[in-house]
Order: sequence, then structure tokens, then C-alpha cells
Amino acid sequence: MRLALVASGIHKHFGGVRALRGVSLSLTEGEIVGLIGPNGSGKSTLLNVISGVEKPTAGTVTLDGRRIDGKPSHRIAGWGVVKTHQIPKPFLGMTSRENVTVAALFGSRRMADVRQASEEASSVLRLVGLEAKAETLASNLTVQDRKRLELARVIATGARILLLDEVFAGLSAGELREAIELFARIQEKLGVGVLVVEHVMRAVLTLSQRVVVIEEGRKIAEGTPQEVVRDPAVIEAYLGTEAARAAT
Amino acid sequence: MKFLRFLRLPTISDLGSILKVGPTAWGIAICLGVVAVGARYVSTYPLTILISLLVFAALAYSMNFITGLTGYVSFGHVVFMGLGAYAWGGVVGTFHWSPLGSVVIGGTVGLLFALGLGAVTLRFRGVYFAIASLVTALAAGNIILAIPALGGGQGIVLNLGFEPLSQFYTIWLILAIEVGLTYWVTHGRIGYGLRAIKGDEDAAKTLGIDVTRLKLFVFGLSGLFAGAVGSVNAWTVSGVFPEAAFALLFSLLMLAMVIVGGSGTFSGPLVGAVVVYIPHTYFLTVASGAEFIVIGAMVTFIALVVPEGIVGSIRRYIPILRGILE
Repeated sequence: MRLALVASGIHKHFGGVRALRGVSLSLTEGEIVGLIGPNGSGKSTLLNVISGVEKPTAGTVTLDGRRIDGKPSHRIAGWGVVKTHQIPKPFLGMTSRENVTVAALFGSRRMADVRQASEEASSVLRLVGLEAKAETLASNLTVQDRKRLELARVIATGARILLLDEVFAGLSAGELREAIELFARIQEKLGVGVLVVEHVMRAVLTLSQRVVVIEEGRKIAEGTPQEVVRDPAVIEAYLGTEAARAAT
Repeated sequence: MKFLRFLRLPTISDLGSILKVGPTAWGIAICLGVVAVGARYVSTYPLTILISLLVFAALAYSMNFITGLTGYVSFGHVVFMGLGAYAWGGVVGTFHWSPLGSVVIGGTVGLLFALGLGAVTLRFRGVYFAIASLVTALAAGNIILAIPALGGGQGIVLNLGFEPLSQFYTIWLILAIEVGLTYWVTHGRIGYGLRAIKGDEDAAKTLGIDVTRLKLFVFGLSGLFAGAVGSVNAWTVSGVFPEAAFALLFSLLMLAMVIVGGSGTFSGPLVGAVVVYIPHTYFLTVASGAEFIVIGAMVTFIALVVPEGIVGSIRRYIPILRGILE
């Protein structure tokens, strides 16, 4: 049975600011869905609502039909939905391996034995290509390695639905290609569902089977990557009215 | 109990690993064994010195549970000692319970108060938690003063017999349990969870760690032992006196021991207790007041130069000892 995550009619207000105004999206295990939109369109807020960091002002989030909106984030993680942080948040005083061991001991996997969890951490570090830095303190990792560590941690929790917040941002062209290949390989191997929030269009368009575009807290388009890039509303949102007129 | 669901009962395979506890645990166990046997053969004066040293060590481990393991600075930690002491004095004075058995009452009051207080104040981060705990200690001291049944400014004066050996073994047992629990907590799943909380609480939450429950668990342990130690401390002076029971000085000494020894480490609180106890007691007799200048200077030096404390710094700078010293 594949896990299905459904968010419907999500509103989120911060005082007078309406960050989300009725966004809906769905995702099943095994699927990669891209979530794109200009700066401040509400992408990260939506991830925060789904992962339980924020409570929605209105709307529901369900996991296999069970309401999860408004539940604390550690419980949502326990049910297999885990997000990465836009700015990586490693446990600085711990080594890479220890960082990932924590994830295997908690999350939805909840391993009881520290030694087994540590072995599991080693194999996840190998999967993301960080095995050479397993014993390095997280405080000594580069930004890219911290992003890999962030990914390794969510994988080690045993999550079935990953919410990735701009893991490809700030990479050079070569690094990006490498990261995309690595990511595609991991996703295929694990068969997890992934919601990729991204600014880097290329990453989203290459990886996603389906793309959701939001602007100012509303969904303006949804479809295959090819459909979405031709959508006038999307072009307008990204490039302005004139570009949209020229394109059509 | 649902709250304690994350605790797992030990299994047979755990018993095997208990024998492989590593040199630090063996070292501490041997030290504890030596003082336990030695206490029978020393005269009263060294025995009282030993009792107050163990009181210091037990307080350091109590503080280490919350401040060392989670990074939450419990500035008003003396409140658990004070309430534990009053609870102990109350049952010993009013119901004539045995001073030894009543230590359990002192510990229980410390535990319950920590759980109640923690349920509210552990929601605050950083300096707000520290201030909330400080204010609680100041308030509790004043509230106790205003209750006539607890002796007001006079406190509770008891005329108990002088029994240093029972006092010694009581504080010894408290310390031994604390050391054992610290080892168990720091070496297991909970220890990883606590280190994650200390590292980044938000990230810990999103990885599925119930941070509130873990923090409350160690804060409860912390209060339990501070309450029990407060009772023993009152027993050694045969009474409970408001000024002394809620003296903020104790909070500061506890923090000093944890910082000097190595916050969050297994042997750090013991090392810190010895290092702080010596100048504290020496200057108290030679030049009273000077002890705080010495301890203050020591804490400042450690915080500025080697913030990981004695044990933490040895581990950092001498890699060979990393596998031996915890």
C-alpha cells in the first residue's frame, strides 16, 4: 500500500500577511513532485505546514486519509513524513555519523540499539557519498556536505515521504548535475515520495514527474514539467507580463 | 505509564554490555568503592569532609542532567534542594519519621516540583528559561518564609543524633545511583536524543524526537536528586534554615562544577566537584569570602579559554585519551 499525502485548501496567515491562500497538492510514495514559485510565494510555509512546524489557519493535511495537520512535528516525522531545512541545521558538536545515527534512533524507524543505528548511519552516509567524512565533526563540513548530511538524516529516519527545501540551491553547474544524478539514484532505490521545493528550475524540471507552481500563496499551475514551462501564467509569474505576451 | 514509554527494560544482551562499560566507568566505580570501604576506618573529621565532598558531587550530577545534557541553564536549581530539605524537615519534625527514610520524601518533592515547573518553563529557550528558574527559586524562598508552620525565619530546628556514617552512606548511595543513571542515559538512545536537542532543538523535533518529553525526563531526574541531596544536607546540620536552604550560592556552585568539569560528560561533574570543593573549603577556613574570588576566576578562565571544561578539553586536545575518558 502506497502512502498518500494530501494537502487541501491550505491557508496560513501570519497576522495580516496571507502566506498561503488555499493551496492544494497531493503526493504518493514513489513519486517526485516539484514545488516552484517566485521568492515569497509560500513554498517553505507550505512545507512547514505539512511537516507540522506551523499549524494551518485553515485547510487539512491527510496521510492515508488520517488528519495530520496541526499535529506536532515529531509525531508527523514518526508517521514517515520528514522535511529538510532550507539552511542546513546539523548538530554541530556531533560527527556526520552521529548526526545520522540520531535520525535512525528516532524518526519513524526508532531503532532501539545504538550500535545497529550507527551501522545503519554508515550505510546511509555511503548512499549520499559522505562516507569519507563519517567521523568529521559537522561543524567542519562545507555547505554542500551539510546539505548531503541533511539528506542523509531524513533518509535515515526511515521516512516514506521526504520534503526537501532547496537542497540544490547554491551549487555550481557541475555540482548540480552530480547532485541531481545522485538524488535520482537514491529516490529510485528507496522508492520514497519526494516533494522538491526548489528555486533552481533545472533541477525541478529534470527530476519531477509533476510540477506545482504557486504564486502569492495560490496555486497557478500544475502539470508535467513541459506543460508548466509553457503555461502563460507561469511565465508571467517568473518573467513578467511582457515576456508572457512575447512567448505566446 | 505512557509518559515513560520510551524507556526500555534491560534485556539479557544488555547485561553483557554492562561488563564492557569502559575505563572511565570502572575508574569511577573503583573510587566510589574505595571511599565506601575507607569511610568505616576514618575518624569523624575526615568523614564530615568526605560527606560534604560527596554532597558537592551529587549536586554536580544533578545539575549535569539538565544543564550538561540539554544545555538549559537551571539558575534556580537550589529551589529543588530547598523544597526537598523543607519536605524532609517537615516529616522528620512533625511525624518523627526516620531521617534516613525521609530522604525519599525530599527527593519525591524535588521530582514532582521539577515536573510541574518544567512542564511550563522548559518551553522557554535559552536565557528565558534561566531567568524563569531563577525567579522561581527567589519566589519559593520568600513563600516558605511566610508560612508559619514551616518556622518562618527561624526554620525547622531538629535535635537529631550525630550519625555521620549513616549520612555518609546515604549520600554515597545517591551519588552512585546518579552516576549509574548518567552512564545509562548518555550511552543509549536517550543520550543521542539529548545531544541532538542540545545541538539544535528545531532539527531534533523534525527528525522525530519528542523534545518536550526528553527534557522533562532529565529535568525530573535533576529535581529528584537535588531534593534528595537537599535533605541530606539538612540532616548534616540537623535542621532546615530558610536563608541557607534557598541560598542562590548553591545554584552557582552547581553550575561552576558542571562548567569546570565538562558540561554533559560522564566524569566531568565528579572532576568539577573535586576541583571546586578544594578551594571552596580551604578558603572558607583561611580567608572566608576569598573562595568565591578563586572559583569565579576559575570559571571565567575555563569559559573563555577551554569552554568544554576539563574533561571535554582533555578529550579534544589529547586524542589518545578520547577512547578512555568520557
